Amino acid sequence: MKHVVETTEVAGQSPNWLLTRLDDLVNWARANSLWPMPFGTACCAIEFMATAASRFDFARFGMERQAFSPRQADVLICAGRLPFKLAPVIRRVYDQMPQPKWVISMGACASTGGIFDNYAMVQGIDTIVPVDVYVPGCPPRPEGLLYGVLLLHKKIKGETVLDPELRREQPLDDRGLRLPPEQIDEISEPFGNSVHQFRSA
Amino acid sequence: MNPSVDALRATFGNAIGRALVARDGETIVTIGRDALLDVMRWLRDTAGHSYDYLVDVTAVEYRDGERPIELVYFLRSLEQRADLRVKVELPKEQELVVDSVVGLWAGADWLEREVYDMFGVTFRGHPDLRRILMWETYAEGYPLRKDFPLRGRFSRAEQVRQALGANPEAHYSMEELSIAEAFEELPEDMRERLRRGERGKIPFSE
Repeated sequence: MKHVVETTEVAGQSPNWLLTRLDDLVNWARANSLWPMPFGTACCAIEFMATAASRFDFARFGMERQAFSPRQADVLICAGRLPFKLAPVIRRVYDQMPQPKWVISMGACASTGGIFDNYAMVQGIDTIVPVDVYVPGCPPRPEGLLYGVLLLHKKIKGETVLDPELRREQPLDDRGLRLPPEQIDEISEPFGNSVHQFRSA
Repeated sequence: MNPSVDALRATFGNAIGRALVARDGETIVTIGRDALLDVMRWLRDTAGHSYDYLVDVTAVEYRDGERPIELVYFLRSLEQRADLRVKVELPKEQELVVDSVVGLWAGADWLEREVYDMFGVTFRGHPDLRRILMWETYAEGYPLRKDFPLRGRFSRAEQVRQALGANPEAHYSMEELSIAEAFEELPEDMRERLRRGERGKIPFSE
């Protein structure tokens, strides 16, 4: 009985509130309940599934619920190569996601086109949608994807609710592109082993 | 050598070209393009041969620019447990046209569409000859031809622009549905979408 009385006294002396910055509170909430929208197109999606499964279990980082509807998703994870035929689809998915939203480009192909430097493949999804975190690898191991998610947490915790630019929708411009054409061409330039392929036969 | 070859020679004479046995033991026989339909029908319907299963249709273009494009038909007889490869040579200086075998094997429909999409070979009499792998408004040419640049003919920016211009929700075209006469019976929203032609126009087509 005596013990209970002492506890009551301590509770009475301490304030039942605390002070923090609004940014910290909002970002803490956002970063720790990221609902991923998996956009798995290739072998990266296998590693993505492994990341979601019991051994690696990204539910530990608040990604318990995978949102298979873009309307209820926070982070779009493009896991795998993206052919041009899917370009309007991922753009549509991205446009349907509500703010705040982020994008993780998982693997070499989603980030740069990877080994598929050919007529059918998008050379990096950043020519289609803005990307927050690139995870290299072919495919990246689950640890890699988790590291990317943690980097995204870090990025989110540095944001501020006072900057409306962060949450501004960026629709395609009059040309139907996200970036100026010169920039897309520059991003898509061959590099690495691809430079040994020639453009015209 | 597959015994069907000798039977073919006896029946069709000069229309049957050279025949050889490939390293995997399968017989390859080359036939003239005009005789294609007759030969194929004979192979399918004649007792003792009855190649009732068309496994694949594909095409080959060789690096030697003067060699013709070869169409390859992989036939199998489930009854005889025999395989036969039939080749048709299409010289490049002539139009790349050949008769469609969809009337003989309905499964040839998508196979021939793929050859059309990748090599630009036109199949006469095909019920619905459209691109199947690339999108229908793809305008850069035929990707598996040797004169097709690996990265495509347009700049990357133009490729992205054209790809993003496609409407991912436009599922149906008149050609696809083959329902021009049933147009009035369609639901209103589908009629409206078909009317708008929302699959986009094929560039440079008009």
